[in-house]
Amino acid sequence: MNQPSQRAPRGAGRRRALVAGTALVTAAGLLSACGGDGKPTLHWYVNPDGVDTFETYAKECSTDDYDISVELLPSGATDQRVQLARRLAAEDSSTDLMNLDPVFVAEFANAEWLAEIPGDLATEITNSADGEGDYLAGAADTVIWEDKAFAIPLWANTQVLWYRKSLADAAGLDMTQPVTWEQVIQAAADNNGSVGVQANKYEAYMVLINALVQGAGGDIVSDTEAGRDTKVDIDSEAGREAAAIIKMLADSQAAQSDLSVSNEGTSLGRMFLKDANAPQGAGEFMLNWTFVYKFYQGQIDAPDGITQELFDDLGYARYPATVEGEASKPPIGGIDIGVGAYSANPEFAMEAAQCITSTQAQVDLALNNGLMPSTNSAYDEVAASGDFPEDLIELYRTSVDEGGPRPKSAFYALISSAIQARWHSPTSVDPGSTPKDSADYLQDVLEGKALL
Amino acid sequence: MTTLTAPAPTGNKPVISDRSRAENRLGQKLIAPAIVLMLLVTAFPMLRAIYLSVFDYSLTAPDDREFVGLSNYLTALTDPLFWQTTGITVLYMVVTVAVELVIGFIFAMVMHRVIFARGVIRTSILIPYGIVTVVSGFAWQFAFTSTNGFVNGWLPGISADFNWFGETNSAVIAIMVSEIWKTTPFMSLLLLAGLAQISEDMLEAAQVDGATWWQRLWKVIIPNMRAAIMVAVLFRALDAYRIFDNIFVMTNGAQKTESISFLTYRQTIEQFQLGMGSALSVLLFLSVLLVAFLIVRLFRVDLAAARQEG
Amino acid sequence: MKKLGVPIGVLVILVWCLLPVVWIISLSFKSEESVTAGNPGFLPSDGTNAGWDNYNKVLTDDLYDFFPRAIINSIGISLIATTLSVIVATLAAYAIARLEFKGKKLVLTMSLAIAMFPVVSLIGPLFDMWRTFGIYDTWLGLIIPYMSFTLPLAIWTLSAFFREIPWEMEQAAQVDGATSWQAFRKVIVPLAAPGVFTAAILTFFFAWNDFVFGISLTSTESARPIPASLAFFVGADPFNRPASLLAAAAVISTIPIIIIVLLFQRKIVAGLTSGAVKG
Repeated sequence: MNQPSQRAPRGAGRRRALVAGTALVTAAGLLSACGGDGKPTLHWYVNPDGVDTFETYAKECSTDDYDISVELLPSGATDQRVQLARRLAAEDSSTDLMNLDPVFVAEFANAEWLAEIPGDLATEITNSADGEGDYLAGAADTVIWEDKAFAIPLWANTQVLWYRKSLADAAGLDMTQPVTWEQVIQAAADNNGSVGVQANKYEAYMVLINALVQGAGGDIVSDTEAGRDTKVDIDSEAGREAAAIIKMLADSQAAQSDLSVSNEGTSLGRMFLKDANAPQGAGEFMLNWTFVYKFYQGQIDAPDGITQELFDDLGYARYPATVEGEASKPPIGGIDIGVGAYSANPEFAMEAAQCITSTQAQVDLALNNGLMPSTNSAYDEVAASGDFPEDLIELYRTSVDEGGPRPKSAFYALISSAIQARWHSPTSVDPGSTPKDSADYLQDVLEGKALL
Repeated sequence: MTTLTAPAPTGNKPVISDRSRAENRLGQKLIAPAIVLMLLVTAFPMLRAIYLSVFDYSLTAPDDREFVGLSNYLTALTDPLFWQTTGITVLYMVVTVAVELVIGFIFAMVMHRVIFARGVIRTSILIPYGIVTVVSGFAWQFAFTSTNGFVNGWLPGISADFNWFGETNSAVIAIMVSEIWKTTPFMSLLLLAGLAQISEDMLEAAQVDGATWWQRLWKVIIPNMRAAIMVAVLFRALDAYRIFDNIFVMTNGAQKTESISFLTYRQTIEQFQLGMGSALSVLLFLSVLLVAFLIVRLFRVDLAAARQEG
Repeated sequence: MKKLGVPIGVLVILVWCLLPVVWIISLSFKSEESVTAGNPGFLPSDGTNAGWDNYNKVLTDDLYDFFPRAIINSIGISLIATTLSVIVATLAAYAIARLEFKGKKLVLTMSLAIAMFPVVSLIGPLFDMWRTFGIYDTWLGLIIPYMSFTLPLAIWTLSAFFREIPWEMEQAAQVDGATSWQAFRKVIVPLAAPGVFTAAILTFFFAWNDFVFGISLTSTESARPIPASLAFFVGADPFNRPASLLAAAAVISTIPIIIIVLLFQRKIVAGLTSGAVKG
């Protein structure tokens, strides 16, 4: 409704409906942004991490030609996808810029909802995916669909193992060496600690399953470009290894009581419990994203927060290995910026997208919000700032570079939901049956033979 | 509107027929806006759902829309998930309505007998009725969580870190509690209205005849409230069959707590499968009709007598 | 025993109805940090009472500016839908109560059918229609379905009220020399007003409570009503639903309901039971 004047004329009936709608809405005193000066407003749909920095860059990247306004999406990746997809399916011309979870780029690009990234930037991104550019390979790879770039990586997320040094010491675990899931679970269980993961029925549980399967050298699916004919691989040795670990955790003393509804937030409070002698009071090993560091740092001396001393007890290490001796595949996440295919101002939007993803913006996101960059140049600046320990920065960078992405498929949402449906609840996972059940179910779902 | 109420000349046949024709026209004009509005949002979309349900049609690939006949229905009806969600929906309906009927009846009895603080009781009973279902869902969800809630602390025999949303049975109970809390007032008010219509004379006569309280309840009160009870059950049952908000808020369908409405919602809105989603919509609609039909038949509710022209 | 039964019953009703309300109010005073760390118990534990902080944040902090916006949306959409719905329903109910015409049964049956309609089965096609009409994610896109779905309730309630009105009084007034407009305004309007008002309250409750349309037919703050906004509530830490802030928002959304209930409880009860059970 913002720039009717810039729209191609449409059917009169439809316009009348629009006018009637507008009139009514105006009458109700709602009209917010129908500015009359003809300067277009680009709408930027953002996910809720780092909103303050996004607001800053929305202002910074506004020019004499256009303004950028920030619209907030829901917190869950699945909800974000739904909200965006519904606007795009409606060919909404006001969906100009959007923050996309990497796993949905393929689906959106395949549906022709995203404008292709043009020129040099596209080349830079595609080269980076092969390890020859400024973008981290793991991040660059997420925006490429059928050899073309459909979004610009903004920040790259990964999970590392956060833990209480005192807990690891008590268990006698050498954290300088790669540790396995089994060791971590055992160490926590034997020393009044717990293990924090994300195992509610939602996207992050899929992240966990995928990391476990890939860590055992397998895949959930392969040949994903074949769409519905993709090959289902989860019924394999790797799938069973992954299931065995989830079962081990669920059956262990180290499982947190809310395991089956746990998310990125639920285990945060279990790292530094007030009473060390309470059950699981010794703290935890927690698999979680990069925001954790800034989160606990912000808690120092806050009301109900933690002390510097406790913060110094926070350790970090690479994602645990599924199988001893085999390198782990840390999860990759983050946010890519896409430009809507139906944007009324595609050139402006593309220009704004580049401004929003500038090196400086990436550095600011890292320093303000703990959301780590997607380019090497930004990483270098973040490292130079001294805000993060150097070894942590290196840990992040290696994790993204050597990480295991989730399947890149136009049917990703289907794959993810099907896997979640059979692997949730974690307490019901059985290495003997779950991988096979989920493989059969996923196959049926992909063939349209089963309901999801 | 008012012209019509002018004193009518009587006894003149042609005039009456003119008048009744005019009345007919006016009546139809007056109801037209309501009819149009109701049809616009129900009948038209429903027809469209029937049409879309015979296609394989995904929002992400609108160009690949393909006619598939009745295969969406076939897939749905042979799928264990469909029957599982239907089963759990029926469970929600039966249990919540039964519990509400008992609690609602007790509340109605109390409200009927009480002579003091009527306003206070009425006010407090209307608050759950008016409160947003989503708020009720959140209130109970947080109440049941081990990290910030109080239920685990208050219930004897439940460990402090029991995770209510960790298994199907307890999660279903939590959802039902929220649903029952929110809708019992509606039930009790309908029953109260029925209770008010029982004549005191009849009760006194029964008492004089030496009927115990229990006998009076079963022989006099309940039979005389039959219509009220049936209407309350019918309305609440159909409402409960469509349960959605509480599930969305409290478990988001995890732990097999998904209802048939929720399944339909996920197909259309989350999975973008408009074809299959439409087929489920049609099935949901038909199943509501079936439930309504069964209740009306089973309990021989006379709706016209109960709600209309009384 | 017999004497104690009623007071005990009253107590049970009060506790049953109000406990969850008190609980959510109590939760809204727990400090945000303590909720993240875990703060079980009915009342905020020692030193974790946040005072009005959570309310302040939800209403004024930029981070939560989606919520005041949702309040405006909800109030605006619900009021407009209520007004229009009651006007349309009044016309229909007048016709049903006073006139003989073909199709009377049809309206009654249809509104009964719609009262039972599974809302979820409509959202797919409605979403499709609304984006074609260009009213997806607008106030109008919610007002229309709210009107349609509140009409049955409004028509039933109003026709029950109207049937009780002694319409002869209007004629009597006219005989006494009043014009038909005066007769209508002075006699009928005062008699009909309580019914209309009650129907309006019940309609408002429905619109205020709606969730399914709210989440399916909106995608931004521009039209998202309170229940949908609560379901998508995000705080400073996106991974951690801020339970106490959410509780504060929930309490705020309940205030209008409580005010209406306090002022008009008698009317609401009359409205809910009238027409529902006759004969």
